[in-house]
Amino acid sequence: MEEFGCEWNDAPHSMGTTIMAVQYEGGVILGADSRTTTGAYVANRASDKITELTDNVYICRSGSAADSQIVSDYSRYFLNQHTIQLGRDATVKTAANIVRELSYGNKSFLECGLIVAGWDKYENGSVYSIPLGGTILRLPFSTGGSGSSYLYGFLDQAWKDGMNKEEAEALVVKAVSLAMARDGSSGGVVRTVIIDSSGVTRNFYPGDKLPLYYEEIPYRPTVEPMSA
Amino acid sequence: MHENIANIENSKRAKKKEHANQSRENRNMAMMMPPRLNPTDSASGPKQHQTWSPYDNNGGTCVAIAGADYCVIAADTRMSTGFSILTRDHSKIFVISETCALASSGFQADISALQKNLDARHQTYQHQHGKQMSCPAMAQLLSNTLYYKRFFPYYAFNVLGGLDDQGKGCVYSYDAVGSYERVGYAAQGSGMQLIMPVLDNQLKSASPLVLPKRETATPLTEAEAVDLVKDTFASAAERDIYTGDGVEIVTINARGIQKQYMELKKD
Amino acid sequence: MAEAAIALPPKGGFNFDLCKRNAMLEKNGIALPRFRKTGTTIVGLVFKDGVILGADTRATEGEIVCDKNCEKIHYMAPNIYCCGAGTAADTENVTDMVRSQLELHRYATNRESRVVTALTMLKTHLFGYRGQVSAALVLGGVDVTGPHLHTVYPHGSTDTLPFATMGSGSLAAMSVFESRYKEDMDKEEGMEIVSAAICAGIFNDLGSGSNVDLCILTKGKTEYLRNYQKPNPRSYIRSKGYDFARGHTAILSTRITPLKDQVTIIEGDAMEE
Repeated sequence: MEEFGCEWNDAPHSMGTTIMAVQYEGGVILGADSRTTTGAYVANRASDKITELTDNVYICRSGSAADSQIVSDYSRYFLNQHTIQLGRDATVKTAANIVRELSYGNKSFLECGLIVAGWDKYENGSVYSIPLGGTILRLPFSTGGSGSSYLYGFLDQAWKDGMNKEEAEALVVKAVSLAMARDGSSGGVVRTVIIDSSGVTRNFYPGDKLPLYYEEIPYRPTVEPMSA
Repeated sequence: MHENIANIENSKRAKKKEHANQSRENRNMAMMMPPRLNPTDSASGPKQHQTWSPYDNNGGTCVAIAGADYCVIAADTRMSTGFSILTRDHSKIFVISETCALASSGFQADISALQKNLDARHQTYQHQHGKQMSCPAMAQLLSNTLYYKRFFPYYAFNVLGGLDDQGKGCVYSYDAVGSYERVGYAAQGSGMQLIMPVLDNQLKSASPLVLPKRETATPLTEAEAVDLVKDTFASAAERDIYTGDGVEIVTINARGIQKQYMELKKD
Repeated sequence: MAEAAIALPPKGGFNFDLCKRNAMLEKNGIALPRFRKTGTTIVGLVFKDGVILGADTRATEGEIVCDKNCEKIHYMAPNIYCCGAGTAADTENVTDMVRSQLELHRYATNRESRVVTALTMLKTHLFGYRGQVSAALVLGGVDVTGPHLHTVYPHGSTDTLPFATMGSGSLAAMSVFESRYKEDMDKEEGMEIVSAAICAGIFNDLGSGSNVDLCILTKGKTEYLRNYQKPNPRSYIRSKGYDFARGHTAILSTRITPLKDQVTIIEGDAMEE
């Protein structure tokens, strides 16, 4: 196999990614690109890296696809159980700590960075970042994945306390598309999830409709799809 | 400091191992087996960085059959690397003179360098002697040319076919560093392991080592030999992934050189 | 107590004891046996009424074709099928295990199997072996919630897609899908594109070859079209044929040992001759 370099078999599937979550007045917004790569090959150009944990908590996944999926699946399972036993929704803090427990307890086997965000009646919107080793951090905004290194400075400048929903979503879409433009392993479309007291809204921004930045080339279909 | 010493020790051991591998390789080559490319150590320990290799294997199969008054030289036209096809239409047969053709598989860049070299040497020979080189002379020249690069060989596996001074069919088979012998028939390249037993069974040519000396040429007629060659290539294309697309067949006899082409499976 | 607990042998699963020995043997220059890895093109596509799966039929061992017409579309449930690439033994065993679990689950629940159930079983199994079970799968089916198409990678990650390709021919096949896929195609158009994608793999990837297998899954109906296309017939057959006359094996010496003399009957009657 090595002789022929079949990457899909040797290299694990990983998500060189841009993920982020931002807290705003009344809720949170999660954002992610949609590129999944195996080495240099884009194995999925429309993946959904924002996964549901409970009705009011979602998670952004980065790193190894297999690892982040299994952590999310277990967290969702434990949270469902927890919700039934408690008789009410789990808090974002609880959800984040379940994810942290799995991440920290299995740190030698796992290779994934996660951002948990959601809404509950105690803390309104909250964002928890759980990077590689199982640290947990509550932050007003957070980014992750390979694209995040392009975003820290921008977010430090552009993030404002007390933004409203529209401002916050515009910031998320702008930030993810900026990272997609510079980071080779991020791309595709931008997906956002907005969570507040009224529930969850999912938005989708196609790759050819995103804002263009310095030296970016506008999308133009070069060939008509071939007819059969 | 300790680490450094350990590293030196390791590299020494690695070199030693490489050396051992090489000597094994050469013995193999004497038996006309292709040497392994990229000797990557997959044994335990830190995984070594994949080192660049000056060679590639572009696959392909060559066959030649010598008859009483003819010689058939054939090769498929597929050129590939790894799991992909580079072209479906690449000739592996180089007609050197009016009585001599060379079929080679292995690394295309080395093969074309070798062909260019042989052609130049043959040109010089013609200027100096006022005639074309005989096939047995060309066979010796090819051996010398290959051995000249003994420690950085041409990655080429050759079959030379043609007519000798008496007009009898002759076939010479080589390894990569110039060991050669005159045979009645030969196969080289990726489909060699599949084709050779069939030729052994069908042609049963006497070994040149058998005493008293016997005829090395095969008993088939020219048409029968071409028929057999076509069938062996069709069979090799069924089971060898590097053989396919088409087969080019060159026949050399008293009338001169004839070329024909047959389609093979393209999967 | 504690000692007894330690002494217990591990239950089930793979045994990795020989890995160390194999590493030692390999270090001493002894080559390990090669697995039958199916350099493969497998694909799947969602159309208006369901899912179409496709596969080539070549199995290779290194550079030798060891099966010219193998089956790579595996049965999982009456409404679910699964294409496999990677090590042949792994794809066959993993799909078989899940197939049997699904069947028992159907007996227990009296309901049609769901594609997500198969998907979850596959991914949990594969994740547990951390990529060592090298099965790359395209899973397709139609259940009570509609048509579904998924890919499963050896490390246990999964994707949900409208069209998917896997194996060494996946890039060739994907180029066909990326240029020709449309939403809500009819069955004929879907079959045409799937077989074109498989043919792209057959002709451009050396690990894939021979014939095209298709499987069309729609609500309440499954069509398995074995050898839907055969684009690679043998190119030449020798006019003379091959005759092997009798008596071509030389007999060097003959020795006959009558077994009758060597048998003594201790009890009962001798058998009639």
